[in-house]
Order: sequence, then structure tokens, then C-alpha cells
Amino acid sequence: MRREDKIVAEIRERLKEKIITVEVPRERRIFAYIKLEALKESIKFLKDMGFKHLSTITGVDMEDGIELIYHLALDGSIELSLRLKVQKDDPRVPTITDIIPGAVLYEREVHDMFGVNFEGHPDLSPLILPEKWPRNIYPLRKKYALERLRNLIFKEEDIE
Amino acid sequence: MSYGSTIKVPFGPQHPALKEPEHFLFKIDGDIIVNVKPRIGYNHRGIEKAFERRTYIQNIYLAERICGICSDAHTTCYVQAIEDLLGVEAPPRARYIRVIVAELERIHSHSLWLGIAAHEIGFDTLFMHLWRDREAVMDILELISGNRVHYAMNTIGGVRRDIVSETIPKVIGSLDFLEKRTKYYMKVLRSEPTVLKRTVDIGVLKPEDAVELCAVGPTLRASGVKNDVRRDDPYAAYDEIPFNIVTDDGCDVFSRILVRCGEILESINMIRYALDHMPSGMLRVRVPMVVKPGEAVSRVEAPRGELIHYVKSNGSTRPERYKVRSPTLANIPALCKMLIGQHVADIPIILAGIDPCFACMDRLVFVDVKTNKKKALDFESFRKIVRKRHELL
Amino acid sequence: MAIIVEAIKHLFKRPATLRYPFEKEAPPKGFRGRPIWDMHRCVGCGLCSRMCPSGAIEMIGRGHEARIKHYVDRCLFCGQCSESCPRNAIRLMNDFEHASYSRDSMIYEYKRES
Ligand code: SF4
Ligand code: SF4
Repeated sequence: MRREDKIVAEIRERLKEKIITVEVPRERRIFAYIKLEALKESIKFLKDMGFKHLSTITGVDMEDGIELIYHLALDGSIELSLRLKVQKDDPRVPTITDIIPGAVLYEREVHDMFGVNFEGHPDLSPLILPEKWPRNIYPLRKKYALERLRNLIFKEEDIE
Repeated sequence: MSYGSTIKVPFGPQHPALKEPEHFLFKIDGDIIVNVKPRIGYNHRGIEKAFERRTYIQNIYLAERICGICSDAHTTCYVQAIEDLLGVEAPPRARYIRVIVAELERIHSHSLWLGIAAHEIGFDTLFMHLWRDREAVMDILELISGNRVHYAMNTIGGVRRDIVSETIPKVIGSLDFLEKRTKYYMKVLRSEPTVLKRTVDIGVLKPEDAVELCAVGPTLRASGVKNDVRRDDPYAAYDEIPFNIVTDDGCDVFSRILVRCGEILESINMIRYALDHMPSGMLRVRVPMVVKPGEAVSRVEAPRGELIHYVKSNGSTRPERYKVRSPTLANIPALCKMLIGQHVADIPIILAGIDPCFACMDRLVFVDVKTNKKKALDFESFRKIVRKRHELL
Repeated sequence: MAIIVEAIKHLFKRPATLRYPFEKEAPPKGFRGRPIWDMHRCVGCGLCSRMCPSGAIEMIGRGHEARIKHYVDRCLFCGQCSESCPRNAIRLMNDFEHASYSRDSMIYEYKRES
């Protein structure tokens, strides 16, 4: 049995019905789709399994919500992408900074770009966007096409 | 010893080490840093959004322009992600050429960094010598790829140019020269009191903290953690080329110097091996313009550490979402950790110690919390403070 | 100390830099410089303009009558145009000094001469 399959079997056993799908598209890559409420629990046990390194958190704007993908690495080799979906208006997820402190900046980045609120995060002030950036405009959401953002930036400069 | 009150020191957005802006807000007590708050984004160009508007071929050149120093690492990561989506694999010769260019880039990046570190501690003679010798590797890269900075070697499904047999003797000659010079510099770095005084036991990052804060690359390896994407998650031809992972357990800036020097020597050997064992054959496979729906995660060991790209395609000629996480971002939490408890004068070398891909200090503003007065300091006066402190040592 | 010996030695060596712009080093073979079009080969398919990552190539018209405008100020010198051209009409030259005071002087136009 491959290492990947062993991990998949373990994840299935631990999360049971909280898991939606798991697949292994190729060697050293696992994509798991879980339910929102299982996030903290899964990060915790994955960390105990050896997935100590969080590579990054990706946000994806889907039609019916925002997908968050946590890319975790097992001793640098197997990359597990843990994915979950939150609703688009007022998206909220618990923070994982208490389990993996290295997630601090990634959560802030997603907060800036997608407006996802990480509940319990120590400091969600803007990391990438300027201080004067209008609230409720999240540049990486599909709704904000480049043209719209461009106009917005020019307007900001006019005010100055 | 505590002075009873803390002072906030905004550092940047212009910065001393490299040529990109970044802002840090330091809370200091006397001369000791008690807290750091990073603020990035001064150089945010919206590249992830720009990816969504370009075709897959055009995006190769966009990925290349994410960074000028690790341009090859970014394209390798990009083309691997797309190859993964398409289900094609680069031919063996192409995979060897990717390794050769990537390792040359590592040599050039690390010697660039060593020069900067030397400059940061006020050792400009070493900086000049290092950068002069770095030209040797830049020249080979230009010879191989046609450009000094943006090599444009990778394409989806292979590489664009061959390494022809006429250039190989020249490459080997330069490698011999670089090896000799690097060994000499290692001797200098180990024996020069200027270097030792400024780097030993400065910016300590304990192994547990490094892992906990998800540090990557030489910063992590200098804390004694054996972790390298080239070995753990082999790509290109790294599974066929023998190499050692250089680590050091000093955990300070000096270990980071040693790790990078060691990696230069390791890279030289890898290139020699790759040139000897390079199979002949095709350089690239033809790929379609349209990519079927799917997603892929691709990882590469850039000179600064683990680089990760994520791509999601929707069946058109453009990606639906593209995500890039560069190694510097991953190292910033670790950087903040190492800065705490250090002296203000050591900020530049510790910052430069992770080999950040941003920076260039111009001015500093000291804010006294009590009076809320701001005192702007330019680079020169800051330097003077630094020098004065070290004269006292 | 080792570095002092090295530094003194260099007092008697040739400088490592050239006195550019008075002395110039020729770029190596295969250098990616400014692309030029051979309009006798071009069939005006427009592929180069569509593939260009920076929008540096403008096609006016199609077919043999097509004119090509190349904006050097936007060009990245990536060579994708010459790679994509089905007729091998684009060649990369050796020159690298393109700086100019006006953008207009950085536009090159190509047209088929009959
Ligand atoms: S070299 Fe690249 S950027 Fe320049 S015109 Fe050709 S395709 Fe466009
Ligand atoms: S790709 Fe070649 S043939 Fe087609 S328009 Fe461009 S130069 Fe002409």
C-alpha cells in the first residue's frame, strides 16, 4: 500500500461523515474536501500525523461560495490540500493560528483578498492592501474585474 | 534591564537589504526589540489577478517576472503545474536542463545574498569581490539562455533551448573558478573577526520554532532541520542526481551564511554531474493551447526555499485561479521571531539573513510613545548608530 | 586577514569593469535582443501578435498587405514571437541599447515591399 493510501485511509477513519471527498491525483498529492465544522479537528490530527508544515492558504472564488484550500506538507514530501467551502456573504472560519502559528500571515492575506473572517485571529489588519482601501472590496473575488479595480484606484488618488 | 517604556520604531517601507519595499513596526525597550509587526504589500502588483487574464503561454513570461532573482524557479513551478494538469511530462533531456539552469540560478542568488550580507555588516571589500566573481555565473547563464536575468528557458512541455556541446567546456571552466573562489570565501568568512562578531549568535531561530512557524529553505536548514523540496518532493531530474542537503545547527546568521556557501558548492557538483549524465533526445513535447478543467499544486525549491503554486483551470485557454506563495512570505513569521530580543543595530543583518526578496531602507521614523513625536532618520544616520554600537563592542 | 592580501593583490590587476559606453562587450551568440521581421516571409497570420505576452506587436490588416508595428518599449525580449511564427519570419537581433527620450522613436514598422 502506498503511503498516500495509508494517509487517505486514516483521514477517512478519523473524519467519517465530515469528509466529502478525498482523492490522490498523483504521487505525493492528496486533495481532501471536508465540511467547514471539521476544520480545526482535522488540522489538529493532521498535525499529530506529521503534517506540521503549512505551505499556504489559497482562496478561490466559486459561484456558490469561497473555497479555502489549506496546503499542508508531511515532512516536506506529501502535499495535502485540505479544502472547504464557506458562504460568500459574511464568510467566517475559525482561525488555525493556535494550532499552526505559521498561518498568521496566510490568514491575513486571504482576509485581505477575499474578505474571509478568521475568528479568533490575533490581528486581522490589512497586510497587503493599503490602509485607505475601501471596505467590502476584495480584489481577488471574480466580481471585481480589473477594470473596476483600476477605476477605484484612480479615484482613491484623486481624493488625496 | 528594562527602561520602563517602549518606543515604536517603524522600519521602512524603504529598506536596507535588497531593492524592494517592506515595512516593519518595531517596539523597542531601550535598545532591545520586544515586538515586531510586519506590513507587506508595497510591491503588490496584482499578479494573481493578471494570471487570470492571460493565456497559458503568456503566463510563462508573467510567472518569470514575479521575481528577478528566482525567475527560473517561478517558471519551473508554473510549467510543472500546467504539465500536471495536461498530464504530460517533459522529456528527460529537458528535465536535466531544468536542473542545470535552476542550480546555476541558485549559485547566482546565493552569491548575491552573500554579497549583501557582507555589505550589511559593513564589509564592503568582500561584497565587491563576491559580486565580481558572481559575474562568472551570470555570463554562463547568458550564454545558455540568451539573457542574464530572465532566462525564458522553460516552456510547457519542456525547455526552449538546448545546452549545446560547444558551451559545455566554458561552463565547466567557470564552475571550476567558482568552486575555487567559494572555498576561498568560506575560509575568509570563517576567519574574519568582522564577520564573526556581527553574525555569530545573532538572530537565533530554534529548530522547534522554525518548524512551528513554517520556515522554509536555507533559513530552516540553518536551524538544523533537514528539509528540501528537491529531495522530499523531487521534480525535474532531482531524483536522478545525487546531492547532499546542507544543514547547520548554529541557528544564527552565521549558520545561514555557511549553509548558503555549502549549497553553492553542492550546486556546482550537481551541475557537473548533470552535464556528464545528460541524456540526448527531444527538448519538448507539443502541448495543446486549451487545458482541461482540473487543479494542481506544484512545488519547487527556489534559492530562498519552498515555492508553491496552485492552479485551477476551467477548460479554457486561461486559468481560473492562480496562486503563488513565495518563500519570503513563509519566512516572515520566523523572521519576526528571530528579531525579538535583539539589538536595533542588528536589524539589517537579521532581516537580510532570511534573504528576503523585498527591501531597501531609505528612512526610519522613531516614534516616542509618550510624546508621540516622530523623528525621521535617513539611512546614513541609522548606519552611524549601527557603527557606533559596534565600536563600543 | 586573508582578504587584505587579496585586496592588495588586486591593486595590480586590470579593473573588472568596462568603461561603458566607451568600451562595449559584444553579447554572446544566441542573445535575445530586439526582434526584427522579414516581411518577405511573413504571411500575415497574426500569430506572433496573439502570442506576445506583453502586447508589443500590433497587426494592421491581414495577409500579405499586413503591416506590423513593434513597440520596443513594451517588448520583454522573450522570443515567443519568433518561436511561434510558422514562417520563421522573426529573428532576434543582438542590440540591447534601446533607451530613448520618446516613445515614438521606439516603434518599428514593417511592411512588405513589392
Ligand atoms: S520578444 Fe516577446 S515581448 Fe517582444 S515582441 Fe516578441 S513575443 Fe512580444
Ligand atoms: S507569426 Fe510570422 S507569419 Fe504570422 S504574422 Fe507574425 S511574422 Fe507574419
